[in-house]
Amino acid sequence: MAGATEGDLVTGGTSQTNAVAAGAVGLAVLLFALALAALFEAITISEPVAGVPVVTLLGLILMALGGAVITFGVGSYLGYVETEPSPSAGLVAATAFSTIWFVIGGLVASQTAGLGSLGSFLVASVVGGGTFALTALPREDIGSTLPAGALTLLTGIVFVTGTIGPSWVWALGFEQQASFTAEFVIPVLTLLCALISGWAAAKAYGGFGARGRHIGAYVLVYVNAGAIIGVLFVLIAFTTLRGVPGLLTGFEFGPGVGPEVGLFGVSVALPFSLPFVMNGAALLNDFQGVLPAIVGTVWLVIGAVVFAVPLGVGAAIFLTEYAERGRLTQAVEVATNGLWSTPSIVFGLFGFAFLVPRFGGNKSLISGMLTLGFMLLPLVLITSREAILAVPDEYRDASAALGVSKWQTIRSVVIPAALPGVVTGVILGVGRIAGETAPILLTMTGGTFVPGGQTVDVIGGFQFTGAPPFVANPELLQATTALPFQLYALITAGVGLGDTVANPADFQWATALILLVVVLSFYAIGIGARYYFRRRLQS
Amino acid sequence: MSETTETAERTETATDQPLETTSGETEEQVREEWREYVFDGRTKLAAEDLDVYYGDDYALKKVSIEIPEESVTALIGPSGCGKSTFLRCLNRMNDRIRSAEVDGSVRIDGQEIYQESVNLVELRKRVGMVFQSPNPFPKSIRENIAYGPEKHGDLQTGLLARLLDRSDEDEREQLVERCLRDAALWDEVQDRLDDNALGLSGGQQQRLCIARCLSVDPEVILMDEPASALDPIATSKIEDLIEELAEDYTVVIVTHNMQQAARISDQTAVFLTGGELVEYGDTDQVFEDPRSERVEDYITGKFG
Ligand SMILES: Nc1ncnc2c1ncn2[C@@H]1O[C@H](COP(=O)(O)OP(=O)(O)OP(=O)(O)O)[C@@H](O)[C@H]1O
Ligand SMILES: [Mg+2]
Repeated sequence: MAGATEGDLVTGGTSQTNAVAAGAVGLAVLLFALALAALFEAITISEPVAGVPVVTLLGLILMALGGAVITFGVGSYLGYVETEPSPSAGLVAATAFSTIWFVIGGLVASQTAGLGSLGSFLVASVVGGGTFALTALPREDIGSTLPAGALTLLTGIVFVTGTIGPSWVWALGFEQQASFTAEFVIPVLTLLCALISGWAAAKAYGGFGARGRHIGAYVLVYVNAGAIIGVLFVLIAFTTLRGVPGLLTGFEFGPGVGPEVGLFGVSVALPFSLPFVMNGAALLNDFQGVLPAIVGTVWLVIGAVVFAVPLGVGAAIFLTEYAERGRLTQAVEVATNGLWSTPSIVFGLFGFAFLVPRFGGNKSLISGMLTLGFMLLPLVLITSREAILAVPDEYRDASAALGVSKWQTIRSVVIPAALPGVVTGVILGVGRIAGETAPILLTMTGGTFVPGGQTVDVIGGFQFTGAPPFVANPELLQATTALPFQLYALITAGVGLGDTVANPADFQWATALILLVVVLSFYAIGIGARYYFRRRLQS
Repeated sequence: MSETTETAERTETATDQPLETTSGETEEQVREEWREYVFDGRTKLAAEDLDVYYGDDYALKKVSIEIPEESVTALIGPSGCGKSTFLRCLNRMNDRIRSAEVDGSVRIDGQEIYQESVNLVELRKRVGMVFQSPNPFPKSIRENIAYGPEKHGDLQTGLLARLLDRSDEDEREQLVERCLRDAALWDEVQDRLDDNALGLSGGQQQRLCIARCLSVDPEVILMDEPASALDPIATSKIEDLIEELAEDYTVVIVTHNMQQAARISDQTAVFLTGGELVEYGDTDQVFEDPRSERVEDYITGKFG
């Protein structure tokens, strides 16, 4: 007990010391954000910010953070700060710290001091073992702050003195000529130090002990969650920023500039023109576009869902409501799980060898739809099964006690209650299949650049015929393209690029952006549907 | 498995010994006596030598009982003695439990229900059931009530019926109102018939379940501890409701609450561990002057 009387309900940390610890946590979070930004090239480490090079700035903040953490730990140990530390920082912390210091010791010994492998291993072991002892043996306030603070301080000094500067490169000496550049190493080291010191500072803020551990874990969890969201956001922002120029090429706004759109016999010219999503590819086009691929992707997903959902839900109903639980259901369970993990190229080969010859012998939209439908089937089956099993038996009992038959119960009670779960499965599955390249490469896609005239028109393609089956749709048998495949072809083959497209990179990024938008739109539709079905069950 | 059989055997040997009763008679004599118990009114339900097994578990032993119509019959007894099992035999809900095996005879209005040709739909329409925990469907209050009749085709409210102008909207509204009134719930929910039933309180949900049970026009209502999850006020509402229902329906109710059984029932049947029906008679007689000593011990709280 450093200062505090045992049994105090109100922990008496003075506001000043608390402010220092909170400031340290704040610094750590700031560093974490900066490091992430540097990692994704939102800021460049070699460029100065406000006259100070970014590396130096990072180094200075690191030094301040490390210093603060050490000061707090020592201050607590000497009794200047009121805390309630446990006797030891614990084995988990000790293992983590000693591993980090083991690596640092080894690296310094081999890279800087130039020792051989045995020598550096010895140094690494001594440093690692020392850290273990330093963390585990002394009281918690020393054990959890000193190794973290020292690491951060050291890293800061290394950055500030320029030992690792913007132009630093660490050649690994492997055959592959691999090397780490400062652009990568500096952010990663900063991230690591920020995490560890942030954790230590958060513990200090909580006055160590149970409350400190709680706050430490809290900071770790939140920073990680924030990082994940940050990475997602950066990914989307990155694609959007690079994709927008290509997307807007040839954009015009004004009455009558767009293509004619016919609806119920009335034909209107859109008041804007966005060639990238409104054109196909043609030699004489002013601007090339990816309309056929967009339409292809949308129809692919719709076809796969229409094929897989009734089959999957039907099978799930049979397995949960009718089949005796036993060998058969277990076998089906294993098989579906296995199918879901089957590589997509295997499904593609199946489509290529089985479906394509049976649908006219050429690659076609319908082969692609069915192939993706087969891929989607196991996930729909698995999630529907789970959802149906989760419907309480009380509903079934209540219905049976009213004399309602089993099938009617399933239809009117079980399926509506299971629908949100089913939709969740479909959402996950669509996310996977909409971005698949390999199966459609083998079953559906024709050329890289599909002329606008080949945009599939599934609805308009229905024809009535005099002979059975009376309805035919030649559009389904047409080879077309889809966004993921088009992207792949654009990047690897670059077919036709350069002659017809002014800026190939813009075109590629715009395609990626459109793919992202299409997939996210399906996702949004799914979430909306799930929300709707849930609301129907609850309000 | 073997352990349960052992316990079953042990209880069997225990009850095989002639036990002292309050008036010095043996259990067998007591049983003979209440077998001749005569009530006023017509017999609605009659079980004879009813045996139920769950796998090797002997849950109900040779139960014979006659239940008069338009009255409340309470089933009491310690936990696990087979009250729910017996209740489920009366509308063949035991068919839904795979391991359950029923032997013996149950007749409703003299018609055997354990025979091949029985129409389960018709049986369950005539013998309704209310469960221990309220289990309304996750649908609106109106849909909950109309569910049974709609599925049985007694109410046409689908799209097709509406298009053909054959929709029974008015009948449905009347049915919903009548059932809710009979279940003493109308005043509380008449303004929110379109709200989800899961938004009601536990007591309201249970009365909704009773209303739903009434919607298919049953003759018998089976209730398995319908008030065990409710507070005293909601419980007393349900109790009042049960007494009212007994004017038109035959009510069989399982309860752990002796006072409740004494308050609302006309007849009481006491089951004891091992799945035996030990005593059956007028509620006043069973509670005030039980013939069997074991029943007296149970009622006065000495065991069970
Ligand atoms: N579905 C089932 N499967 C196997 N055994 C069962 C099943 N239901 C009941 N049993 C067994 O049958 C016996 C009687 O059970 P039952 O549910 O009828 O008792 P109960 O009198 O209703 O008890 P409680 O008052 O606790 O509800 C118990 O031993 C129980 O373990
Ligand atoms: Mg029970």
